[in-house]
Amino acid sequence: MDIIKKPSWHISENEVTDEALFNKRRDFLKLGAASIVLTTTVMEQLSAVETTKRDPLKFKKTSFGKDLNINDFNQASTYNNFYEFSLKKSEPAKLAHTLNPSPWDIEIGGEVEKPFTLSMEEIIKSYPLQERIYRFRCVEGWAMVVPWIGFSLSHIIKLAKPNSKAKFVKFTTLFDPKQFPDQAKGMFGNIPYPYVEGLRMDEAMNDLTILSVGMYGKTLPKQNGAPLRLIVPWKYGFKSIKSIVKIEFVQEQPINTWNAISSKEYGFYANVNPQVDHPRWSQARERKLGSFFKQKTLMFNGYEKEVANMYKDMDLRKFI
Amino acid sequence: MIKKIVLNLIFLSPLVYMLYGLQSAVDPIKYIYIHTGSTAIVMLILTLCITPLRKVKNLVKYRRFVGLYTFFYAFLHFINFFVLDAELSVAFVIKQTLDKPFVYLGMISFVVLLFMSITSTRKLFKKYRTWHNGVYLVLGIITIHASMAQKVLSAVEYFYIFMAVILIGHRAFKSKWISRFFANFLQKRVKTA
Repeated sequence: MDIIKKPSWHISENEVTDEALFNKRRDFLKLGAASIVLTTTVMEQLSAVETTKRDPLKFKKTSFGKDLNINDFNQASTYNNFYEFSLKKSEPAKLAHTLNPSPWDIEIGGEVEKPFTLSMEEIIKSYPLQERIYRFRCVEGWAMVVPWIGFSLSHIIKLAKPNSKAKFVKFTTLFDPKQFPDQAKGMFGNIPYPYVEGLRMDEAMNDLTILSVGMYGKTLPKQNGAPLRLIVPWKYGFKSIKSIVKIEFVQEQPINTWNAISSKEYGFYANVNPQVDHPRWSQARERKLGSFFKQKTLMFNGYEKEVANMYKDMDLRKFI
Repeated sequence: MIKKIVLNLIFLSPLVYMLYGLQSAVDPIKYIYIHTGSTAIVMLILTLCITPLRKVKNLVKYRRFVGLYTFFYAFLHFINFFVLDAELSVAFVIKQTLDKPFVYLGMISFVVLLFMSITSTRKLFKKYRTWHNGVYLVLGIITIHASMAQKVLSAVEYFYIFMAVILIGHRAFKSKWISRFFANFLQKRVKTA
């Protein structure tokens, strides 16, 4: 693997163009479009685009998911479960402007040689970004295919040098009621905060597991978990924690948020499994976003070859 | 006549609104579930508000009309389950209905509403009048069904629960419904036996 370290004087392409001018052209076009077709749908879509000003990223294409049928950017950025903003999936796109993804620091600690902090700039500069087209399957029964941009989580693990006591990796989302309106509601919030997720060390080291900084060629929209989120494509979407501020290496299996809310319905592993139903609904089939027809859900979301060996001695009905 | 047309248009407007939004729905099946389901519940609550409020404003003559629209939206909800979600697989529908409390609560409600709609003609209503109290059972279990459709409850579900408690409570205590229902039920049993 080639790690391209850019020199300090390097200027990326986006810095060359006058962005303000560039964006104005868009605004003008939007204004024109809005004045002609004043339907609510158009207005909604425009407002969604406006809250997601995104910088282009430099990345390498990979062969991951090259045969998959990618969902529209609009679908992936206007249908979000982000309870820190709202329970409704259409709302995060409208509300996420309060999130400020830069500057952003990620604390790395727990059972490591020496705890440290990484800034998002350092992360984006230090690791080769790749595009990975992955299936994304929500525990609620919908699915999509997204071209994520990110880097292998194993890079961070190698940098952190966890000691022999580290058995799990625990991730924590930002807690800031000023940026996440629902966190200001205290005990009346939608779910307990901050959101926590975890992976077993071997899962975290798996080649498929990435930390994503972007999608569809540019940085992540705020409602999709900017600036940094986890992507674990063989697990239900709630494992892919958004807007991460802390990565800890721990001895005990972390209690992830949904497992704490309802342990009978959401486990720690949350591997996509068409044979094991959610207590309230079937997981055998899924609704791909934008489609009236359902499709079969694949074992481990289609990544059986890459991940099944990690669970070969486990009863997948018990370890949901 | 014009009044009737206007009323029908009002009660069909949620469907028109839904069909309009369907073009841009990201998750169409879910979208239809949410819209038909919540419309049916709101109309069910409206139907059941008519009786307790009849002294304020007597709309009892519209009760059947609103009730039938409740069934209409419940029917669309069921059709969404059977045609789009289950893709016409009777086996899937039966298995889900038997397996999942979430599904069978919905199914029981649908069957009761279907029965009530069929027996809502003047002639049949006379015969099955008592059975129409089953609508309160529907209100109770459909509130649970709606709550189970969510991962966590929001204000909408708390509103349904609140209304269900008020309406069922009103019926059960103020009208001594429970005792009368059982008295009627037993009486009929004795007569037919």
